[in-house]
Amino acid sequence: MSSGIPPWRVSASATATTSLHSGHVAPAYIPVQARRSLTPAKATNPVPSSSTSPTSTETAARKRVEFPDAVRTYVQRSFAPEHRIPGVERSEMEAKLKSVITEAAEGNMLNKIDWETLPLPQVMVQNDRNRVLASPSVSTWGAFGTVSPKKSNGLSEDPSKKRKSVEYHGDASSCPPWRQTNNQNAFEDRVTYPSTDKRQKIDMKNPSKSKANLEMRRKRFEEPQARSGSSPSSRGASPASSANQGPVVGRCQELEKNYFRLTSAPNPDTVRPLPVLMKTLDLLKKKWKKDNNYGYICDQFKSLRQDLTVQHIRNEFTVSVYEIHARIALEKGDLGEYNQCQTQLRALYAQQLGGHPTEFRAYRILYFIHTRNWTAMNDALADLTAADKRDPAVTHALDVRSALALGNYHRFFQLYLDTPNMGAYLMDMFVDRERLSALAAICKAYKPDVKIRFITEELGFESDEQSARFILDQTSEDLLQEKDGVVRLLTGGKAGQLFEGAKAEAHRIVDIKGQI
Amino acid sequence: MSSIFDDFKEGQKIGSGPRLASALTPVAPAQYPDRLKSFYYFSNAVHVSADLRYSLFQANGLRLPKQEQGAWVDIFTSYWKAVGELVRFDDAPSHASWVKVFEAWKEMANLLIRGYSSNGLQAWTVPCLYVVGRYLRIFAMKADAELSSQGSVAFDDRFQDDATADFRNAKLEEATRVLNRMFTLCLSDRAPIEESRKWGIYDTTNLLFKTYFRLNTVGLSKNLLRALRASSADLPDADAFPKSHIVTFEYYIGVIHFLEENYAEAEEHLSYAWKMCHRNATKNRELILAYLVPCHLVTTHTLPSKELLAPFPRLEELFRPLCDCIKKGDLGGFDAAMTAGEDEFVKRRIYLPLERGRDIALRNLFRKIFIAGGFDESKDGQPPIRRTRVPVAEFAAALRIGTHADERVRVDIDEVECLLSNLIYKGLMKGYIARERGMVVLSKGGTAFPGTGV
Repeated sequence: MSSGIPPWRVSASATATTSLHSGHVAPAYIPVQARRSLTPAKATNPVPSSSTSPTSTETAARKRVEFPDAVRTYVQRSFAPEHRIPGVERSEMEAKLKSVITEAAEGNMLNKIDWETLPLPQVMVQNDRNRVLASPSVSTWGAFGTVSPKKSNGLSEDPSKKRKSVEYHGDASSCPPWRQTNNQNAFEDRVTYPSTDKRQKIDMKNPSKSKANLEMRRKRFEEPQARSGSSPSSRGASPASSANQGPVVGRCQELEKNYFRLTSAPNPDTVRPLPVLMKTLDLLKKKWKKDNNYGYICDQFKSLRQDLTVQHIRNEFTVSVYEIHARIALEKGDLGEYNQCQTQLRALYAQQLGGHPTEFRAYRILYFIHTRNWTAMNDALADLTAADKRDPAVTHALDVRSALALGNYHRFFQLYLDTPNMGAYLMDMFVDRERLSALAAICKAYKPDVKIRFITEELGFESDEQSARFILDQTSEDLLQEKDGVVRLLTGGKAGQLFEGAKAEAHRIVDIKGQI
Repeated sequence: MSSIFDDFKEGQKIGSGPRLASALTPVAPAQYPDRLKSFYYFSNAVHVSADLRYSLFQANGLRLPKQEQGAWVDIFTSYWKAVGELVRFDDAPSHASWVKVFEAWKEMANLLIRGYSSNGLQAWTVPCLYVVGRYLRIFAMKADAELSSQGSVAFDDRFQDDATADFRNAKLEEATRVLNRMFTLCLSDRAPIEESRKWGIYDTTNLLFKTYFRLNTVGLSKNLLRALRASSADLPDADAFPKSHIVTFEYYIGVIHFLEENYAEAEEHLSYAWKMCHRNATKNRELILAYLVPCHLVTTHTLPSKELLAPFPRLEELFRPLCDCIKKGDLGGFDAAMTAGEDEFVKRRIYLPLERGRDIALRNLFRKIFIAGGFDESKDGQPPIRRTRVPVAEFAAALRIGTHADERVRVDIDEVECLLSNLIYKGLMKGYIARERGMVVLSKGGTAFPGTGV
């Protein structure tokens, strides 16, 4: 089992077998009676198994090949009765043998292969079958018996060409589908291996999708072997197994790394260990100060978070990474990214790993005000401890929430002008919405007009010009009038309705994702 | 004092789903405390299938189609295993584990689902689904509690960039997936309605709602409702279903609306549940009322009477201080009561609507000012008219009293105006503010405070 399909076959199989089937070889396959020795076979057996075969007319057209003794012994051994495996049809064995030798010959490998240790064709056939059994995707098990002796015309049995028919229908009968699913490493079918495979996958899309799928599936079957086998390459070494067995331990020493969404188990060679990540964070902080390039920073932070996650690192450093990323995302108004960090931080704070829990609990409340997610708001309130509630930032956020809940715009805009930490970035996102609500109320309650100065002061505008512009932007009508040298907002007539409409519009959609 | 086999036999004979389901109940009845134990020790792992085949069918003289019979034997075999894990809590507590109970029970739930989907279990037996689903949820919660007390589990290994946030409910989340299959199993049954599993739809939905609430993933209920709405044409009217299912269902729908602050819809569904709820189901009535009272406060600005809350001392205790402050217009007392009850209110998810009671308290306070303002001099023998022009300063003074403000605290006139403008905007007061003159002009003719008689 251990060697499986020899590595050189993997790439050669497709081309080698097709050339075999190009006509002239075919007629030679005639069902033969059981044989005890090699000699009588020579005449009828088309397999270039001995030096005599080139003399036959069928193969005459082909390039003559001298077969080394090792190959002949190998063929002899294949036919030896003591090596027969019950359940493996003779015709199957022959077909396999033929393909193995042909491929070797075409790849000029005849002298390079260690025929002494190469598994016999019947063993290969059996291995192939076992692999099918392990496949989670086999479902047509009912249609077995295709490998019937009737079909002993070796041609149709060629396993590499007619892989589908042989492997699919072949032996699944012995193993019902519900058992098959669990044989495989649960990850195998989702794993696409990094580096080389990616390119192949794309290439294979071109010729035919089903063929590509076939190839992919075959690769999957081989993977467990490759891993336990001789090649210690990064490709097989650890990824698939590590996902099940615990955290990855990174080996990468590069400070910067682009973010890619994981489609497979992580490769330790591209994962940075904690000391490297700490340096990375310092570097990123410097770069952010210097270049202020959010696209780059966000990407780097995402890969940083990914490396922490795959290594199961959860400590104060993890908290600071999420906190810094959250702050940067806030500053740039990238709410989607901010929300991801916030969700993580909530879990991290629950584990008492340090950081700045109250600062972020306050943001969280403001965030839910913005998204108007009342169910989540209730949860956020439930998370607060008595100590949290004494924190100025949390108190501020709670006051903002309660001011809005009661429609107390006066208090709301006072709070807006005095927001601790980076909460103002969040409040900026819903302050216009709340201005419209307030204007709708003002228009209904004040008659006949109010000075623009009053609006500016009450609604936290920076200047009369700004508030006037805001009003004109939101309502196309001319609601402003100059009287006695003062600009006034006429609250009567349609004003209330206009603001009501604008308010409804502003409250209608909250872009929660808002990712940049 | 009936054994599990008796329940099974009787259930099958008279076609009673509940009776049949009682055979699958993993709790021994009070009058037969050893029922589970004796069931478990009647066989062993090697012979259990054969023994069950005999005891359930041959010995009972029951005949069912072969496939169905096989399905029941499989279900009871896995039930036997689950009971084995349960019995261990008595017999060998050090080896007992709720995680194992949950796994065994889940296995059985899956077999039951398969029994319906492909082995021809009949639709009248769906009460089994209720029982199995209900205990699946219970065992999952116990398993989660057990796991978190052991402090195990930390990372799950899906290929995610961030560790998932919540591990505390891993088993309960697993349970929701099974419950979800039960939901689909009921909803997607295309058999004629008389023999359809559709009759089980509300019970499975309720179970899922309950679990989602527990997991704090109320948002997921939306998916169920969407699926229900999509096939509502095929469902019989609600009043054809067992009342208990419908009451619970309406309760949850009400609460879901409630949480989204759609208080009008919430009130509709909660009132329906309130009216339909069995009068002796005190606990359920209390649950409904806990949401209905805040709902009513927001939609109609009315407070619960003493009689209404009399049978529910806990609710009385919860709401009465607030109600008294609202009535008196005591803002300071109201704020204090909100703070005092905050934890409980938040836990019951009623903090946000109750907070709005402050508007009513404020309205009542300002109404007092209006009444204390007395009447304008009447002209020409007309009936006296209340003074409708009230200086803002008077409201400011009222606020000072209402909030028990220290005399040194300055009351911000702009804020007073803001509060007034809000009450006007919300329709709790009628009139307008003439800002230049610092005056509130209220509407005449007994409509200044709508609905309060003045």
